[in-house]
Amino acid sequence: MIIEAHELRKTFVSGRGKGNEVEAVRGIDLEVADGEVFAVLGPNGAGKTTTVRMLATFTPPTSGRALVNGFDIVKQADKVRASIGYVSQSGGVDDLAPAIENLMLAGRIAGMSKAQAKARAEELMEIFALGEIGNRPARTLSGGQKRRFAVAIGLVAAPPLIFLDEPTTGLDPQNRANLWEEVRKLRAQGTSVLLTTHYLDEADALCDRLVIVDHGRIVAEGTPEALKKEVAGDVVTVKVADRIEQARALLSAEPYVREVVQEDDLLRAYLDDGERGLPSVLRALDRDGLVIQSITLSRATLDDVFLKHTGRSLRDAA
Amino acid sequence: MFKDATLVLGYELRGLLRNPIWPLFGILQPILYLAFFAPLLGSTVPGGSDQEVLAMFTPGMMLMIALFGSMFAGFSVMNDTRNGVLERLVVSQIWRPAIILGRVLKDAVALVIQAAIIIAISIALGLRVTLLAALLMLGLMALTGLLAGSFSYALALSIRDENAMSQIVQFLAMPLTLIAGLFLPVSLGPGWLGTIAQFNPLYYAVEAGRSLFRGDLGATTIPLAFAIFVVLCALTLIWSVRSLRRLGT
Repeated sequence: MIIEAHELRKTFVSGRGKGNEVEAVRGIDLEVADGEVFAVLGPNGAGKTTTVRMLATFTPPTSGRALVNGFDIVKQADKVRASIGYVSQSGGVDDLAPAIENLMLAGRIAGMSKAQAKARAEELMEIFALGEIGNRPARTLSGGQKRRFAVAIGLVAAPPLIFLDEPTTGLDPQNRANLWEEVRKLRAQGTSVLLTTHYLDEADALCDRLVIVDHGRIVAEGTPEALKKEVAGDVVTVKVADRIEQARALLSAEPYVREVVQEDDLLRAYLDDGERGLPSVLRALDRDGLVIQSITLSRATLDDVFLKHTGRSLRDAA
Repeated sequence: MFKDATLVLGYELRGLLRNPIWPLFGILQPILYLAFFAPLLGSTVPGGSDQEVLAMFTPGMMLMIALFGSMFAGFSVMNDTRNGVLERLVVSQIWRPAIILGRVLKDAVALVIQAAIIIAISIALGLRVTLLAALLMLGLMALTGLLAGSFSYALALSIRDENAMSQIVQFLAMPLTLIAGLFLPVSLGPGWLGTIAQFNPLYYAVEAGRSLFRGDLGATTIPLAFAIFVVLCALTLIWSVRSLRRLGT
Protein backbone atom coordinates (compact mmCIF):
# COMPACT_ATOMS: atom_id res chain seq x y z
CA MET A 1 0.00 0.00 0.00
CA ILE A 2 1.41 3.37 -0.98
CA ILE A 3 -1.25 5.18 1.09
CA GLU A 4 -3.12 3.92 4.12
CA ALA A 5 -5.27 6.42 5.97
CA HIS A 6 -7.50 5.77 8.94
CA GLU A 7 -10.13 8.15 10.27
CA LEU A 8 -8.35 11.27 9.03
CA ARG A 9 -10.03 14.40 10.29
CA LYS A 10 -9.37 18.08 9.93
CA THR A 11 -11.20 20.85 11.71
CA PHE A 12 -10.15 24.38 10.88
CA VAL A 13 -10.64 27.06 13.49
CA SER A 14 -10.88 30.53 12.01
CA GLY A 15 -10.83 33.47 14.33
CA ARG A 16 -11.65 33.05 17.97
CA GLY A 17 -14.43 31.47 19.92
CA LYS A 18 -16.93 28.81 19.05
CA GLY A 19 -18.97 28.73 15.88
CA ASN A 20 -15.91 29.37 13.77
CA GLU A 21 -15.01 25.76 13.34
CA VAL A 22 -15.13 24.18 9.93
CA GLU A 23 -15.04 20.41 9.74
CA ALA A 24 -13.36 20.10 6.37
CA VAL A 25 -12.64 16.38 6.62
CA ARG A 26 -14.71 14.17 8.91
CA GLY A 27 -13.05 10.78 9.09
CA ILE A 28 -11.61 9.49 5.84
CA ASP A 29 -10.21 6.01 5.27
CA LEU A 30 -8.13 5.37 2.18
CA GLU A 31 -6.12 2.50 0.81
CA VAL A 32 -4.19 3.11 -2.36
CA ALA A 33 -2.14 0.25 -3.81
CA ASP A 34 1.31 0.67 -5.36
CA GLY A 35 1.09 1.70 -8.99
CA GLU A 36 -2.57 2.60 -8.79
CA VAL A 37 -4.17 5.74 -10.23
CA PHE A 38 -6.60 6.70 -7.53
CA ALA A 39 -9.14 9.51 -7.75
CA VAL A 40 -10.89 11.49 -5.06
CA LEU A 41 -14.05 12.74 -6.73
CA GLY A 42 -16.37 15.27 -5.19
CA PRO A 43 -17.87 18.73 -5.47
CA ASN A 44 -16.02 21.89 -4.45
CA GLY A 45 -15.72 22.14 -0.70
CA ALA A 46 -16.02 18.38 -0.17
CA GLY A 47 -12.63 18.21 1.57
CA LYS A 48 -10.58 16.88 -1.35
CA THR A 49 -7.80 19.45 -1.16
CA THR A 50 -7.58 19.23 2.63
CA THR A 51 -7.27 15.45 2.38
CA VAL A 52 -4.43 15.71 -0.14
CA ARG A 53 -2.72 18.41 1.89
CA MET A 54 -2.78 16.21 4.97
CA LEU A 55 -1.35 13.25 3.07
CA ALA A 56 1.34 15.50 1.57
CA THR A 57 2.30 16.75 5.09
CA PHE A 58 1.25 20.33 4.37
CA THR A 59 -1.68 20.36 6.77
CA PRO A 60 -1.41 18.47 10.05
CA PRO A 61 -4.50 16.31 10.70
CA THR A 62 -6.66 17.11 13.71
CA SER A 63 -6.93 13.38 14.39
CA GLY A 64 -6.46 10.06 12.67
CA ARG A 65 -3.43 8.37 11.19
CA ALA A 66 -1.98 7.90 7.76
CA LEU A 67 1.00 6.14 6.26
CA VAL A 68 2.42 7.28 2.93
CA ASN A 69 4.96 4.93 1.39
CA GLY A 70 5.02 3.26 4.80
CA PHE A 71 5.88 6.44 6.73
CA ASP A 72 3.70 8.24 9.25
CA ILE A 73 2.60 11.61 7.86
CA VAL A 74 3.10 13.32 11.22
CA LYS A 75 5.99 11.56 12.91
CA GLN A 76 8.00 10.80 9.77
CA ALA A 77 7.03 13.78 7.66
CA ASP A 78 10.60 14.11 6.30
CA LYS A 79 10.51 10.61 4.88
CA VAL A 80 7.03 11.16 3.44
CA ARG A 81 8.30 14.32 1.70
CA ALA A 82 11.15 12.34 0.14
CA SER A 83 8.58 9.89 -1.28
CA ILE A 84 6.14 12.25 -2.93
CA GLY A 85 5.66 14.81 -5.63
CA TYR A 86 2.96 17.35 -4.90
CA VAL A 87 1.25 19.50 -7.49
CA SER A 88 -1.16 21.87 -5.80
CA GLN A 89 -4.23 23.37 -7.37
CA SER A 90 -2.42 26.67 -7.89
CA GLY A 91 0.54 24.86 -9.46
CA GLY A 92 3.47 26.30 -7.55
CA VAL A 93 5.31 27.72 -10.55
CA ASP A 94 7.21 30.92 -9.79
CA ASP A 95 5.87 33.32 -12.41
CA LEU A 96 8.86 35.62 -12.44
CA ALA A 97 11.50 32.96 -13.05
CA PRO A 98 12.07 30.92 -16.19
CA ALA A 99 10.46 27.53 -15.80
CA ILE A 100 13.81 25.75 -16.07
CA GLU A 101 14.95 27.60 -12.93
CA ASN A 102 11.94 26.23 -11.06
CA LEU A 103 12.77 22.71 -12.24
CA MET A 104 16.44 22.97 -11.38
CA LEU A 105 15.83 24.34 -7.89
CA ALA A 106 13.43 21.48 -7.21
CA GLY A 107 16.08 19.02 -8.38
CA ARG A 108 18.83 20.56 -6.26
CA ILE A 109 16.59 20.52 -3.19
CA ALA A 110 15.99 16.82 -3.82
CA GLY A 111 19.74 16.33 -3.55
CA MET A 112 20.88 16.36 -7.16
CA SER A 113 24.13 17.93 -8.30
CA LYS A 114 23.93 20.90 -10.62
CA ALA A 115 24.67 18.71 -13.64
CA GLN A 116 22.14 16.09 -12.59
CA ALA A 117 19.45 18.72 -11.97
CA LYS A 118 20.09 20.25 -15.38
CA ALA A 119 19.96 16.88 -17.13
CA ARG A 120 16.72 15.96 -15.31
CA ALA A 121 15.14 19.36 -16.10
CA GLU A 122 15.98 18.94 -19.77
CA GLU A 123 14.66 15.39 -19.78
CA LEU A 124 11.35 16.50 -18.26
CA MET A 125 11.02 19.45 -20.62
CA GLU A 126 11.49 17.01 -23.47
CA ILE A 127 8.84 14.62 -22.09
CA PHE A 128 6.32 17.40 -21.54
CA ALA A 129 7.09 19.12 -24.87
CA LEU A 130 8.31 22.27 -23.16
CA GLY A 131 11.83 22.42 -24.58
CA GLU A 132 11.33 25.64 -26.53
CA ILE A 133 9.86 27.71 -23.75
CA GLY A 134 11.88 26.69 -20.69
CA ASN A 135 13.88 29.90 -20.68
CA ARG A 136 10.90 32.24 -20.84
CA PRO A 137 9.52 33.69 -17.63
CA ALA A 138 6.74 31.37 -16.49
CA ARG A 139 4.20 34.20 -16.54
CA THR A 140 4.38 34.27 -20.34
CA LEU A 141 3.28 30.63 -20.62
CA SER A 142 -0.27 29.55 -21.42
CA GLY A 143 -2.41 27.85 -18.81
CA GLY A 144 -1.81 24.43 -20.31
CA GLN A 145 1.94 24.92 -20.56
CA LYS A 146 2.13 26.16 -17.01
CA ARG A 147 0.17 23.17 -15.74
CA ARG A 148 2.48 20.81 -17.59
CA PHE A 149 5.39 22.57 -15.95
CA ALA A 150 3.79 22.23 -12.54
CA VAL A 151 3.44 18.49 -13.07
CA ALA A 152 7.02 18.29 -14.35
CA ILE A 153 8.26 20.02 -11.17
CA GLY A 154 6.37 17.46 -9.11
CA LEU A 155 8.11 14.65 -10.98
CA VAL A 156 11.66 16.00 -10.73
CA ALA A 157 12.80 13.55 -8.08
CA ALA A 158 10.97 10.63 -9.78
CA PRO A 159 8.91 9.97 -6.64
CA PRO A 160 6.99 6.69 -6.22
CA LEU A 161 3.82 8.71 -5.54
CA ILE A 162 2.52 11.94 -6.99
CA PHE A 163 -0.41 14.02 -5.77
CA LEU A 164 -2.29 16.00 -8.40
CA ASP A 165 -4.83 18.36 -6.89
CA GLU A 166 -7.44 19.28 -9.53
CA PRO A 167 -4.87 18.89 -12.30
CA THR A 168 -7.15 19.84 -15.19
CA THR A 169 -9.33 22.57 -13.68
CA GLY A 170 -9.35 25.52 -16.03
CA LEU A 171 -7.74 23.67 -18.93
CA ASP A 172 -9.28 23.48 -22.38
CA PRO A 173 -10.30 20.04 -23.74
CA GLN A 174 -7.11 19.65 -25.78
CA ASN A 175 -4.85 20.32 -22.80
CA ARG A 176 -6.99 18.12 -20.58
CA ALA A 177 -6.58 15.24 -23.00
CA ASN A 178 -2.82 15.81 -23.06
CA LEU A 179 -2.60 15.75 -19.31
CA TRP A 180 -4.65 12.57 -19.11
CA GLU A 181 -2.14 11.04 -21.49
CA GLU A 182 0.69 12.02 -19.14
CA VAL A 183 -1.10 10.45 -16.19
CA ARG A 184 -1.53 7.23 -18.15
CA LYS A 185 2.18 7.25 -18.93
CA LEU A 186 2.93 7.61 -15.24
CA ARG A 187 0.83 4.57 -14.50
CA ALA A 188 2.66 2.65 -17.23
CA GLN A 189 5.93 3.51 -15.47
CA GLY A 190 4.60 2.26 -12.15
CA THR A 191 4.22 5.66 -10.45
CA SER A 192 1.26 5.78 -8.07
CA VAL A 193 -1.02 8.76 -8.61
CA LEU A 194 -3.59 10.26 -6.29
CA LEU A 195 -5.62 12.90 -8.07
CA THR A 196 -8.60 14.94 -7.00
CA THR A 197 -11.20 16.11 -9.44
CA HIS A 198 -14.74 17.34 -9.67
CA TYR A 199 -14.99 16.12 -13.26
CA LEU A 200 -16.90 12.85 -13.55
CA ASP A 201 -15.48 11.93 -16.92
CA GLU A 202 -11.97 12.52 -15.64
CA ALA A 203 -12.34 10.10 -12.75
CA ASP A 204 -14.08 7.63 -15.04
CA ALA A 205 -11.48 7.80 -17.79
CA LEU A 206 -8.33 7.89 -15.70
CA CYS A 207 -8.52 6.07 -12.44
CA ASP A 208 -8.29 2.44 -11.41
CA ARG A 209 -10.26 3.09 -8.27
CA LEU A 210 -11.88 6.09 -6.68
CA VAL A 211 -13.66 7.39 -3.66
CA ILE A 212 -16.53 9.82 -3.91
CA VAL A 213 -16.46 12.40 -1.13
CA ASP A 214 -19.12 14.80 0.02
CA HIS A 215 -19.11 17.08 3.07
CA GLY A 216 -15.82 15.65 4.28
CA ARG A 217 -16.91 12.01 4.19
CA ILE A 218 -16.50 9.13 1.78
CA VAL A 219 -19.88 8.19 0.34
CA ALA A 220 -18.76 5.48 -2.09
CA GLU A 221 -15.63 3.59 -3.00
CA GLY A 222 -14.62 1.16 -5.73
CA THR A 223 -13.67 0.86 -9.37
CA PRO A 224 -15.68 3.10 -11.72
CA GLU A 225 -17.28 0.02 -13.30
CA ALA A 226 -18.32 -1.54 -10.01
CA LEU A 227 -19.75 1.71 -8.71
CA LYS A 228 -21.79 2.30 -11.80
CA LYS A 229 -22.99 -1.29 -11.88
CA GLU A 230 -24.17 -0.88 -8.32
CA VAL A 231 -26.57 1.81 -9.53
CA ALA A 232 -27.67 0.10 -12.75
CA GLY A 233 -26.46 -0.53 -16.26
CA ASP A 234 -28.50 2.15 -17.97
CA VAL A 235 -30.58 5.21 -17.30
CA VAL A 236 -33.71 6.34 -19.09
CA THR A 237 -34.25 10.05 -18.55
CA VAL A 238 -37.80 11.18 -19.21
CA LYS A 239 -39.39 14.59 -19.24
CA VAL A 240 -43.18 14.57 -19.17
CA ALA A 241 -45.42 17.52 -19.95
CA ASP A 242 -47.30 17.27 -16.63
CA ARG A 243 -48.43 14.74 -14.01
CA ILE A 244 -44.83 13.98 -13.04
CA GLU A 245 -45.88 12.20 -9.83
CA GLN A 246 -48.11 9.84 -11.77
CA ALA A 247 -45.33 9.12 -14.22
CA ARG A 248 -42.98 8.40 -11.38
CA ALA A 249 -45.35 5.94 -9.73
CA LEU A 250 -45.99 4.28 -13.06
CA LEU A 251 -42.32 3.76 -13.80
CA SER A 252 -41.55 2.56 -10.28
CA ALA A 253 -44.20 -0.12 -10.68
CA GLU A 254 -42.50 -1.62 -13.75
CA PRO A 255 -40.68 -4.79 -12.68
CA TYR A 256 -37.49 -4.20 -14.73
CA VAL A 257 -36.97 -0.69 -13.32
CA ARG A 258 -34.63 -0.74 -10.33
CA GLU A 259 -35.21 2.74 -9.05
CA VAL A 260 -36.66 6.06 -10.14
CA VAL A 261 -35.08 9.31 -9.04
CA GLN A 262 -36.57 12.72 -9.63
CA GLU A 263 -34.23 15.57 -10.43
CA ASP A 264 -36.18 18.81 -10.89
CA ASP A 265 -38.56 18.13 -13.78
CA LEU A 266 -36.65 15.07 -14.99
CA LEU A 267 -37.24 11.46 -14.02
CA ARG A 268 -34.29 9.11 -14.10
CA ALA A 269 -35.25 5.43 -14.26
CA TYR A 270 -32.42 3.00 -13.60
CA LEU A 271 -32.58 -0.35 -15.34
CA ASP A 272 -30.11 -3.05 -16.17
CA ASP A 273 -30.83 -3.49 -19.86
CA GLY A 274 -31.80 -0.18 -21.37
CA GLU A 275 -32.21 -1.32 -24.98
CA ARG A 276 -34.83 -3.87 -23.97
CA GLY A 277 -36.43 -1.74 -21.27
CA LEU A 278 -36.92 1.44 -23.30
CA PRO A 279 -39.90 0.22 -25.39
CA SER A 280 -41.63 -0.97 -22.20
CA VAL A 281 -41.08 2.43 -20.59
CA LEU A 282 -42.61 4.11 -23.62
CA ARG A 283 -45.57 1.75 -23.63
CA ALA A 284 -46.21 2.21 -19.92
CA LEU A 285 -46.27 6.00 -20.19
CA ASP A 286 -48.35 5.94 -23.36
CA ARG A 287 -50.90 3.60 -21.79
CA ASP A 288 -51.84 6.24 -19.26
CA GLY A 289 -51.83 9.02 -21.81
CA LEU A 290 -48.79 10.85 -20.44
CA VAL A 291 -47.19 13.21 -22.95
CA ILE A 292 -43.45 12.70 -23.27
CA GLN A 293 -41.49 15.86 -24.03
CA SER A 294 -38.11 14.18 -24.21
CA ILE A 295 -36.62 10.80 -23.53
CA THR A 296 -33.00 9.66 -23.62
CA LEU A 297 -31.26 6.39 -22.97
CA SER A 298 -27.71 6.51 -21.63
CA ARG A 299 -25.19 4.44 -19.68
CA ALA A 300 -25.12 5.10 -15.97
CA THR A 301 -22.32 7.54 -15.05
CA LEU A 302 -20.50 8.34 -11.84
CA ASP A 303 -22.92 11.21 -11.48
CA ASP A 304 -25.69 8.64 -11.02
CA VAL A 305 -23.55 7.08 -8.30
CA PHE A 306 -23.18 10.47 -6.67
CA LEU A 307 -26.90 11.16 -7.03
CA LYS A 308 -27.76 7.84 -5.45
CA HIS A 309 -25.56 8.42 -2.41
CA THR A 310 -26.14 12.11 -1.80
CA GLY A 311 -29.51 12.83 -3.38
CA ARG A 312 -27.89 15.59 -5.45
CA SER A 313 -26.27 15.71 -8.84
CA LEU A 314 -22.56 16.50 -8.77
CA ARG A 315 -23.20 19.18 -11.38
CA ASP A 316 -25.54 20.97 -8.96
CA ALA A 317 -23.50 20.41 -5.82
CA ALA A 318 -21.40 23.53 -5.59
CA MET B 1 20.73 22.38 5.80
CA PHE B 2 22.67 25.52 4.97
CA LYS B 3 23.23 24.13 1.51
CA ASP B 4 19.49 24.56 0.97
CA ALA B 5 19.75 28.19 2.06
CA THR B 6 22.50 28.80 -0.48
CA LEU B 7 20.36 27.11 -3.16
CA VAL B 8 17.45 29.43 -2.43
CA LEU B 9 19.83 32.40 -2.21
CA GLY B 10 21.31 31.53 -5.60
CA TYR B 11 17.84 31.17 -7.12
CA GLU B 12 16.75 34.52 -5.67
CA LEU B 13 19.94 36.31 -6.72
CA ARG B 14 19.53 35.07 -10.29
CA GLY B 15 16.04 36.57 -10.10
CA LEU B 16 17.54 39.86 -8.91
CA LEU B 17 20.05 39.84 -11.76
CA ARG B 18 17.27 39.35 -14.27
CA ASN B 19 15.74 42.61 -13.08
CA PRO B 20 18.59 44.67 -11.59
CA ILE B 21 16.79 47.95 -12.19
CA TRP B 22 14.33 48.00 -9.30
CA PRO B 23 16.77 48.17 -6.37
CA LEU B 24 18.30 51.23 -8.01
CA PHE B 25 15.03 53.08 -7.61
CA GLY B 26 15.29 52.37 -3.89
CA ILE B 27 18.47 54.39 -3.50
CA LEU B 28 17.23 57.39 -5.41
CA GLN B 29 15.45 58.78 -2.39
CA PRO B 30 18.44 58.76 -0.01
CA ILE B 31 20.64 60.20 -2.75
CA LEU B 32 18.21 63.10 -3.21
CA TYR B 33 18.30 63.69 0.55
CA LEU B 34 22.10 63.66 0.54
CA ALA B 35 22.24 66.12 -2.32
CA PHE B 36 19.48 68.54 -1.36
CA PHE B 37 18.78 68.13 2.35
CA ALA B 38 22.24 67.53 3.86
CA PRO B 39 23.49 70.99 2.79
CA LEU B 40 20.79 72.56 4.99
CA LEU B 41 22.18 70.89 8.09
CA GLY B 42 25.41 72.87 8.43
CA SER B 43 24.13 74.93 11.35
CA THR B 44 22.83 71.92 13.35
CA VAL B 45 26.08 69.97 13.50
CA PRO B 46 29.02 70.98 15.71
CA GLY B 47 31.76 72.22 13.44
CA GLY B 48 29.38 72.29 10.51
CA SER B 49 31.84 71.17 7.82
CA ASP B 50 30.69 68.97 4.94
CA GLN B 51 32.63 66.07 6.45
CA GLU B 52 30.87 66.42 9.81
CA VAL B 53 27.43 66.87 8.30
CA LEU B 54 27.83 63.82 6.06
CA ALA B 55 29.22 61.66 8.90
CA MET B 56 26.06 62.47 10.85
CA PHE B 57 23.61 62.27 7.97
CA THR B 58 24.79 59.36 5.79
CA PRO B 59 24.14 56.53 8.30
CA GLY B 60 20.53 57.65 8.65
CA MET B 61 20.05 57.64 4.89
CA MET B 62 21.51 54.16 4.61
CA LEU B 63 19.16 52.87 7.27
CA MET B 64 16.28 54.53 5.48
CA ILE B 65 16.69 52.16 2.52
CA ALA B 66 17.05 49.26 4.92
CA LEU B 67 13.72 50.18 6.43
CA PHE B 68 11.80 51.10 3.30
CA GLY B 69 13.35 48.45 1.08
CA SER B 70 13.34 45.39 3.28
CA MET B 71 10.14 46.07 5.21
CA PHE B 72 8.23 45.57 1.98
CA ALA B 73 10.04 42.34 1.08
CA GLY B 74 7.13 40.36 2.50
CA PHE B 75 4.95 41.24 -0.46
CA SER B 76 6.92 38.85 -2.65
CA VAL B 77 6.34 35.99 -0.25
CA MET B 78 2.64 36.75 -0.11
CA ASN B 79 2.47 36.22 -3.85
CA ASP B 80 4.22 32.89 -3.34
CA THR B 81 1.56 31.75 -0.88
CA ARG B 82 -1.04 32.36 -3.56
CA ASN B 83 0.67 30.80 -6.55
CA GLY B 84 1.51 27.68 -4.57
CA VAL B 85 5.30 28.09 -4.60
CA LEU B 86 5.56 28.06 -0.81
CA GLU B 87 3.11 25.18 -0.53
CA ARG B 88 5.32 23.16 -2.85
CA LEU B 89 8.56 24.11 -1.10
CA VAL B 90 7.19 23.36 2.34
CA VAL B 91 6.37 19.75 1.39
CA SER B 92 9.65 19.27 -0.47
CA GLN B 93 12.79 17.91 1.17
CA ILE B 94 14.07 21.40 1.86
CA TRP B 95 15.29 22.44 5.30
CA ARG B 96 12.38 24.80 6.03
CA PRO B 97 14.29 27.76 7.50
CA ALA B 98 16.21 27.86 4.19
CA ILE B 99 13.05 29.08 2.45
CA ILE B 100 13.15 32.26 4.53
CA LEU B 101 16.90 32.45 5.07
CA GLY B 102 17.69 32.29 1.35
CA ARG B 103 15.29 35.15 0.69
CA VAL B 104 16.44 37.44 3.49
CA LEU B 105 20.07 36.81 2.53
CA LYS B 106 19.20 37.98 -0.97
CA ASP B 107 17.61 41.10 0.49
CA ALA B 108 20.71 41.65 2.63
CA VAL B 109 23.00 41.31 -0.40
CA ALA B 110 20.91 43.82 -2.35
CA LEU B 111 20.94 46.18 0.62
CA VAL B 112 24.70 46.00 1.10
CA ILE B 113 25.22 46.85 -2.57
CA GLN B 114 22.81 49.80 -2.28
CA ALA B 115 24.56 50.94 0.90
CA ALA B 116 27.98 50.71 -0.74
CA ILE B 117 26.74 52.96 -3.54
CA ILE B 118 25.50 55.50 -0.99
CA ILE B 119 28.84 55.47 0.85
CA ALA B 120 30.61 56.03 -2.46
CA ILE B 121 28.36 58.99 -3.24
CA SER B 122 28.88 60.47 0.23
CA ILE B 123 32.63 60.12 -0.20
CA ALA B 124 32.33 61.96 -3.49
CA LEU B 125 30.42 64.71 -1.64
CA GLY B 126 33.18 65.02 0.94
CA LEU B 127 32.77 62.26 3.54
CA ARG B 128 35.97 60.73 4.92
CA VAL B 129 35.73 57.27 6.50
CA THR B 130 38.25 54.51 7.14
CA LEU B 131 37.83 51.24 5.25
CA LEU B 132 37.21 49.39 8.52
CA ALA B 133 34.41 51.79 9.51
CA ALA B 134 32.83 51.45 6.07
CA LEU B 135 32.98 47.65 6.22
CA LEU B 136 31.52 47.55 9.72
CA MET B 137 28.74 49.84 8.55
CA LEU B 138 28.01 47.49 5.66
CA GLY B 139 27.92 44.60 8.14
CA LEU B 140 25.43 46.52 10.22
CA MET B 141 23.39 47.19 7.09
CA ALA B 142 23.35 43.48 6.30
CA LEU B 143 22.03 42.74 9.79
CA THR B 144 19.42 45.48 9.48
CA GLY B 145 18.34 43.99 6.17
CA LEU B 146 18.09 40.51 7.69
CA LEU B 147 16.04 41.85 10.57
CA ALA B 148 13.67 44.00 8.52
CA GLY B 149 13.38 41.29 5.86
CA SER B 150 12.57 38.40 8.19
CA PHE B 151 10.21 40.67 10.14
CA SER B 152 8.45 41.51 6.90
CA TYR B 153 8.25 37.85 5.80
CA ALA B 154 6.94 36.80 9.20
CA LEU B 155 4.32 39.54 9.11
CA ALA B 156 3.31 38.68 5.55
CA LEU B 157 3.01 34.98 6.31
CA SER B 158 1.00 35.69 9.44
CA ILE B 159 -1.54 38.08 7.98
CA ARG B 160 -1.55 37.08 4.27
CA ASP B 161 -3.42 40.19 3.20
CA GLU B 162 -1.72 42.77 0.99
CA ASN B 163 -3.87 45.68 2.11
CA ALA B 164 -3.37 45.01 5.80
CA MET B 165 0.32 44.44 5.19
CA SER B 166 0.85 47.75 3.45
CA GLN B 167 -1.09 49.60 6.17
CA ILE B 168 0.89 47.97 8.97
CA VAL B 169 4.25 48.60 7.33
CA GLN B 170 3.40 52.26 6.69
CA PHE B 171 2.13 52.56 10.24
CA LEU B 172 5.39 51.18 11.63
CA ALA B 173 7.81 52.89 9.26
CA MET B 174 6.93 56.45 10.17
CA PRO B 175 7.46 56.31 13.97
CA LEU B 176 10.48 54.03 13.54
CA THR B 177 12.04 56.66 11.28
CA LEU B 178 11.23 59.64 13.49
CA ILE B 179 12.10 58.07 16.81
CA ALA B 180 15.39 56.68 15.57
CA GLY B 181 16.70 60.12 14.75
CA LEU B 182 17.24 59.13 11.17
CA PHE B 183 17.56 62.75 10.01
CA LEU B 184 18.97 64.40 13.12
CA PRO B 185 20.32 62.79 16.31
CA VAL B 186 17.64 62.44 19.00
CA SER B 187 20.19 63.83 21.48
CA LEU B 188 19.39 67.25 20.01
CA GLY B 189 15.86 66.90 21.37
CA PRO B 190 14.36 66.74 24.84
CA GLY B 191 15.18 63.88 27.20
CA TRP B 192 11.89 62.02 26.76
CA LEU B 193 12.59 61.56 23.06
CA GLY B 194 15.86 59.82 23.88
CA THR B 195 14.03 57.60 26.37
CA ILE B 196 11.49 56.45 23.81
CA ALA B 197 14.20 55.96 21.21
CA GLN B 198 15.80 53.30 23.39
CA PHE B 199 12.92 50.99 22.52
CA ASN B 200 13.54 51.38 18.82
CA PRO B 201 16.16 48.97 17.42
CA LEU B 202 16.81 51.30 14.53
CA TYR B 203 18.03 53.96 16.97
CA TYR B 204 20.98 51.79 17.97
CA ALA B 205 21.91 51.18 14.35
CA VAL B 206 21.85 54.91 13.56
CA GLU B 207 23.89 55.77 16.65
CA ALA B 208 26.43 53.04 15.87
CA GLY B 209 26.61 54.25 12.27
CA ARG B 210 27.34 57.81 13.41
CA SER B 211 30.07 56.61 15.80
CA LEU B 212 31.63 54.63 12.95
CA PHE B 213 31.52 57.50 10.48
CA ARG B 214 32.87 59.91 13.09
CA GLY B 215 35.85 57.58 13.37
CA ASP B 216 35.02 56.70 16.98
CA LEU B 217 35.48 52.94 16.57
CA GLY B 218 35.75 52.34 20.30
CA ALA B 219 32.23 53.65 21.04
CA THR B 220 30.02 51.25 23.00
CA THR B 221 27.13 52.02 20.64
CA ILE B 222 28.81 49.80 18.03
CA PRO B 223 29.00 46.42 19.85
CA LEU B 224 25.62 47.22 21.42
CA ALA B 225 23.96 47.66 18.02
CA PHE B 226 25.52 44.47 16.67
CA ALA B 227 24.45 42.49 19.74
CA ILE B 228 20.86 43.80 19.62
CA PHE B 229 20.55 43.12 15.91
CA VAL B 230 21.93 39.59 16.10
CA VAL B 231 19.42 38.71 18.83
CA LEU B 232 16.49 40.37 17.03
CA CYS B 233 17.44 38.69 13.74
CA ALA B 234 17.37 35.30 15.43
CA LEU B 235 13.97 36.02 16.99
CA THR B 236 12.34 37.29 13.81
CA LEU B 237 13.76 34.36 11.82
CA ILE B 238 12.22 31.95 14.30
CA TRP B 239 8.94 33.82 14.05
CA SER B 240 8.95 33.69 10.26
CA VAL B 241 9.74 29.97 10.16
CA ARG B 242 6.90 29.37 12.62
CA SER B 243 4.51 31.32 10.40
CA LEU B 244 5.66 29.17 7.52
CA ARG B 245 4.69 26.07 9.46
CA ARG B 246 1.24 27.51 10.12
CA LEU B 247 0.54 27.99 6.40
CA GLY B 248 -1.28 24.67 6.16
CA THR B 249 -3.37 25.06 9.28
